[in-house]
Amino acid sequence: MIPLSHYMLISAALFSIGIYAVLSKRNAIMILIGIEFMLNAAILNFVAFSKHDKFAASGQVFALFAIVLAAAAVAVSLAIILNVYKYYKTIDPTKIDKLRD
Amino acid sequence: MNEYLPYLSELLSEALSGISFILPEIALVLTFLLVIVVDLFIPGKNSVNTSAIALTGIIISAYLNYQQSLSIEKGLSLFSGSIVLDRVAIGFKLIFAFVTVLFVVFIKGNTALKRHNKGLGDLYMLLPAVLLGLNLMAMASNLLMVYISIEMVSIASYLMVGYVSGEGKQTEASMKYALFGSACSAIMLYGMSLLYGFTGTISLSDGNIIAQLSHIAEPAIALAILLTLVGIGFKLSFVPLHFWSPDVYQGAPTPVTAFLSTAPKIAGFAILIRFLIPFYGYGAATGIQVFDFETTITVIAIATMILGNFAAIWQNNIKRMLAYSSIAHTGFALMAIVAIYQNGIRSLLFYFTVYAIMNMAAFMIADQVEQRTGEDDVRKYKGLGKFMKVEILCFVVILVSLTGLPPTGGFIAKLFIFTSAFEKYQASGSVWVLSLLVTGAITTVVSLFYYFKIPLNAYLREPDREYPVSSGLNFISYVILALTILIIVLGLFPSILA
Repeated sequence: MIPLSHYMLISAALFSIGIYAVLSKRNAIMILIGIEFMLNAAILNFVAFSKHDKFAASGQVFALFAIVLAAAAVAVSLAIILNVYKYYKTIDPTKIDKLRD
Repeated sequence: MNEYLPYLSELLSEALSGISFILPEIALVLTFLLVIVVDLFIPGKNSVNTSAIALTGIIISAYLNYQQSLSIEKGLSLFSGSIVLDRVAIGFKLIFAFVTVLFVVFIKGNTALKRHNKGLGDLYMLLPAVLLGLNLMAMASNLLMVYISIEMVSIASYLMVGYVSGEGKQTEASMKYALFGSACSAIMLYGMSLLYGFTGTISLSDGNIIAQLSHIAEPAIALAILLTLVGIGFKLSFVPLHFWSPDVYQGAPTPVTAFLSTAPKIAGFAILIRFLIPFYGYGAATGIQVFDFETTITVIAIATMILGNFAAIWQNNIKRMLAYSSIAHTGFALMAIVAIYQNGIRSLLFYFTVYAIMNMAAFMIADQVEQRTGEDDVRKYKGLGKFMKVEILCFVVILVSLTGLPPTGGFIAKLFIFTSAFEKYQASGSVWVLSLLVTGAITTVVSLFYYFKIPLNAYLREPDREYPVSSGLNFISYVILALTILIIVLGLFPSILA
């Protein structure tokens, strides 16, 4: 059986990769992919931990809900990014800065 | 699977017995479905029917909430502990319903939104949905419910900000909001997964959480809690997670800004209170402290108050200024969270009621000025006092209340929070609480500088262009007047809310 710590290491690595992508990428879609990495790290954690839960349910239920909500959030974000492209002809967040002090 | 069979009937009957306590939420779900159908087939001119149905549904749900507030004395744990219905939750729910009704009124008075070629049906459809999310935020008592409700409100907010994407600025605001919000909720989810792993439960009302956590190394607990606080902090927009809010508030349509700076922020506080209960309540009962919330929140509150107030001084755009002012108010309300043992929750509820009224009113007036003169720059408010007499007079009262001077509701609200924080200081003698009190007092003085730029320009400076003698009152002006009177009444007779 794979020990719990291996799952946690993989999810920590996934989470770090996701954070790195969010902070360094110059493309809104790549940032979304980074966010997906972070979400999946959390979902992996939930599923792994739920094996040791007495009812073995709450972690897995949580994972299911998280997957659905992540899909909803990504759909909305993609529509918004498409709209941004229509006005700015770029999706580089550093170049989109009309709102400022 | 078979080992669950004995529990099945028990679980089902528990779920069925809970239904009678979530009638306000069921009313909102039905309204949501009805609004979609009506908007498809018989929207009416300017979505009249759609808005009427949304408004009716919200008011019915508010009435059901009021009925609950009469019958419920003690807190009820429903649906295997996913939600808790107590007087605090009902108080928050009533504030949300009030803000949403004002939001509908505000949308109706905004010509820019009305002229939009997509119509407003979709926006009205979002209202019951976002109110449902807010209600769940007020009642959430396990991590799953916290996550679902925060995401419900967030996704609806992204859509509302980007809804009238008639220009680049608005799409920019919605993209920044959506990306920053999704990243924050992903970080929060990771923190929650760690908390679940450490405690073996997602419930926030389980008394064993602290005992379980005390077996884990402290840095690991601190990491999990801080990651979870990131998601809540995004909703509250406290420092250092505030930098989305000025941009988003400036870019979004003004009614949406007014709503976003009020309801989701208050709901974030409701969640924060629920999240702190196991650590404050059970931690105090057993004497085990796993994480120093008091110091963390005090530091955040001080930083938020200082940054919000000082950054607001340099703003000339009225919406950005009100954005920083709402950040400053977040810092102030966090002071009550630190002092939550004493009368913290009561004073917090009063503070939020007053804050909701004055914030909605301030944005309504700013919107009226923008619609009639086209100005959103405070420096160009010169001489407006003679042109929009009633609105600017109300604005002055609202600003006095935002600063926290008598005889307004804002003064009483700040007084309550100062009192509970001071009681906390007397009980504990902590230097942190003292510095919190001092910062609160000093930043209140600082806030005078930017709030009073508006009356200064409107009354004492000569206009650099001609306005017609006076403009008449419209529907929104009467709403503004009513809210202003309400603020003064609350300042003179604060007991009517209790």
